[in-house]
Amino acid sequence: MDTSQYLDIFLDESKEHLQNLSDQIMDLEQNPENMDTINEIFRAAHSLKGMAGTMGYKRMQTLTHDMENVFSEVRNGTFKVQPGMIDILFKSLDALEEYVNNIQQTTEEGTNDNQDLIDALNSILKNNGEVKLDDSAQSAETAPAQASTAEQPAQDEDATKEKWQKIKITDTEKMLIEKANSEGLKVYGVTVYVEEACVLKAARAFLVFKALEKLGEIIVSSPTAQDIEDEKFELTFSLIFISGGTADEIKEAVKSVSEIEEAYCSEYVIAAPAQPAEPEKPVESKPAEETVKAAPEAKAAPVPAAAPAAKPAPAAAPAQSSAKPAGKPVVNRTVRVDIEKLDNLMNLVSELIIAKNSLISATAADDGKGDTGSVNEQIEYLESVTTNLHESVMKVRMVPIESVVAKFPRMIRDLSKKLNKKMELYMTGEDTELDRTVVDEIGDPLMHMLRNSADHGLEPNDVRIANGKPEVGSIFLDAYQDGNNVVIEVRDDGGGINVEAVRNKAIERGTVTPEQAETMTEKEIIDLLFLPSFSTAKKVSDVSGRGVGLDVVKSKIESLSGEVEVKNRYGEGSSWIIRLPLTLAIIQALMVVIGDEKYAIALGSIQTIEDVLPEDIKLVQAKEVIHIRGTVIPIIRMDKVLDMPPKEGEDNKNKNLTVIIVKKGEKQAGLVVDELIGQQEVVIKSMGKYIKVPKMISGATILGNGEVALILDTNALI
Amino acid sequence: MDEVRTMDEQKRNVSLNRPVERDTTQFIVTQLGGEQYGIDIKYISNIIRMSKITRVPRVPNYIKGVINVRGVVIPTISLRLKMGLPEDEVTKKTRIIILTLEQHESIGVLVDEVKEVVTLDEEHIERMGYEKDDKERYLSGVGKSDGKLISLLDITSVLAEVVDV
Repeated sequence: MDTSQYLDIFLDESKEHLQNLSDQIMDLEQNPENMDTINEIFRAAHSLKGMAGTMGYKRMQTLTHDMENVFSEVRNGTFKVQPGMIDILFKSLDALEEYVNNIQQTTEEGTNDNQDLIDALNSILKNNGEVKLDDSAQSAETAPAQASTAEQPAQDEDATKEKWQKIKITDTEKMLIEKANSEGLKVYGVTVYVEEACVLKAARAFLVFKALEKLGEIIVSSPTAQDIEDEKFELTFSLIFISGGTADEIKEAVKSVSEIEEAYCSEYVIAAPAQPAEPEKPVESKPAEETVKAAPEAKAAPVPAAAPAAKPAPAAAPAQSSAKPAGKPVVNRTVRVDIEKLDNLMNLVSELIIAKNSLISATAADDGKGDTGSVNEQIEYLESVTTNLHESVMKVRMVPIESVVAKFPRMIRDLSKKLNKKMELYMTGEDTELDRTVVDEIGDPLMHMLRNSADHGLEPNDVRIANGKPEVGSIFLDAYQDGNNVVIEVRDDGGGINVEAVRNKAIERGTVTPEQAETMTEKEIIDLLFLPSFSTAKKVSDVSGRGVGLDVVKSKIESLSGEVEVKNRYGEGSSWIIRLPLTLAIIQALMVVIGDEKYAIALGSIQTIEDVLPEDIKLVQAKEVIHIRGTVIPIIRMDKVLDMPPKEGEDNKNKNLTVIIVKKGEKQAGLVVDELIGQQEVVIKSMGKYIKVPKMISGATILGNGEVALILDTNALI
Repeated sequence: MDEVRTMDEQKRNVSLNRPVERDTTQFIVTQLGGEQYGIDIKYISNIIRMSKITRVPRVPNYIKGVINVRGVVIPTISLRLKMGLPEDEVTKKTRIIILTLEQHESIGVLVDEVKEVVTLDEEHIERMGYEKDDKERYLSGVGKSDGKLISLLDITSVLAEVVDV
């Protein structure tokens, strides 16, 4: 079977399952007794195994299979979860992740068998449970049929032609079988083989179903009736069938349909004769209340062969029903959309907005002639449509940062062991959404900052105790939306940045002269940390301190039009604040005139617009400032910054100034502009890589009249 | 627009002819000051009339600014200033040639006039030696067509310096 077309789905889903497994195992470490978690792990592992098998990744399948065996035994209560086991499980997850990464890059899973892990997993089975290896394999074989409701057993290792033995039975079906048995009806398993040359397989299957329905009732089929109807099956299908007739009668009925090659039919017994011991079932009923156990024993089995099947059913039912609501994962209703398609959609929306803007400027030019009233109405309508369209397209592009931060608890756990420091990660705002492109890029910088906090930020446990802090260090990762920005804050309650140490280091390295260092503010010193190859860690550890880091973090975030800010309280900890724009494509902007040119300023960064008298401008340290409501704000003459030719005429001097107050974090500045045009939705266009534009220009946009206007990046100005 | 159409036709001819006559190259001949310059047609994606150029602050003077070509913002440079000639004088004949070197990355160059398309055999092109003086460093050679001399622009070296700035 050609599986390449499923590769993308496989990769996506594998990653989801791996993340899920990692989360759940973390959880299991905390609550080793939680059956819901164990069930969830089992399900995820099983799905993963099935997928790997289907795609033909044998090594991945083998490893998952062995992990699944361990979970299976834990689930059965054969042995309990132990710390050493968790470590091996995490190592196995890492190995699986490596397979997936290999597959992503080369479509091959690689050649690493991870035999040591497989041996380790098997030794868990041998030593802790009393189960022999053979038995455990057996139980794993039957387990899928029970546990997973969604997965098809991936590999048909069973040589027998009676494939109906693989059919999964749910509780309701068990009840039906039990009921049929008590009514003296017989339950059969039927497997039908359609001829290879058969053209209309679905039609043939339909006829088989029709023929059987005359003899009794079909309770379950594999594949499902819907899939059979849609011809989603190979050459065989199986079903469980309740009937008063004999096996031969059923066989005849099936074979009376033409193009049916062969039919197998025999009496259905849930515990198949091949597995008389059936470790799975009785154990499964164990977690159920002891009182319930009495019930099945009291029940007399009408058909002896069906007895083992009927017996565990009622007991298993309450156990499962109590576990299900919590254990069943909330299915994410997601649609995977190719990012390119979205980009196309986005471009279309951009065009639409430009068209709308030109319509507005056309009517503005038209000025009173003709019936502009209805045109204006139409424009308003168009405006609301484009705004809504824009918002919904943006929303499609938005993904919660959860996909990135979900791996961090695991990372901190590993770091905690590696660095031999006790620490705990607290995360909030995982559901904060960001543009997909930003989310994809933000993972590495965040990871680096967390490592930084864990390694440099938090003190060793004994130092913490000596300083009167709780032994276990805390790292916080908080994400939240703030206006048009998303803020991600990495905070720790460690020692904070030792500014003096950084200052000395900078002098020692020759980054700054001692004289320079004297006059530098604390903030300026901290900014030195973002210079390439600047690490103050006394010993270089595996975790951080190799001097490739904070500068990369900074440039990465700046490339996403974001910024990093550091707040430091020496002795109490430090926080690193990343501020990222919500969207990268379309923004609300204020259009202004400077000189005779038009510029756009992102609305998100604007606080207020002030009308300032020339005499209100004061000079502080040769810089122009204004006082507004108790704060001193430096002003920036935009015409000078933008290299405008000086204006003629002296009367300008006495005119009131229009000052736009913008903010960057907690800093403010006033931009002096000549005229305000108004608010407009602008589409950000790249200016191409052929010219290097100054930092204060963040991009360009196309106005309604087709002209290009530049977008000012106020962050670069402050 | 008619210029664009003829160019498209020429392009088509190029692709049709190429397998037979391998050693010919087509150039668009432009007027710049008193001289004629040829630009290899394979780099040219569009020729448009002069449109409003938005100035970009704090860039070298030969970068005139950015223009809007069908919804794409494209930086535009002055070949005159780049070659050390006097500042452009915009006339009715002024054109902006849009060059595309790589996918999706375009740049516009201002020229005084676009004259014609010429097809030059390799034997009618005199390649420049390695020793080039200042004015010649953007030239790849000199072509002869109908007795006229056409300086052939080495577009990649013109633009390479723009990127470096």
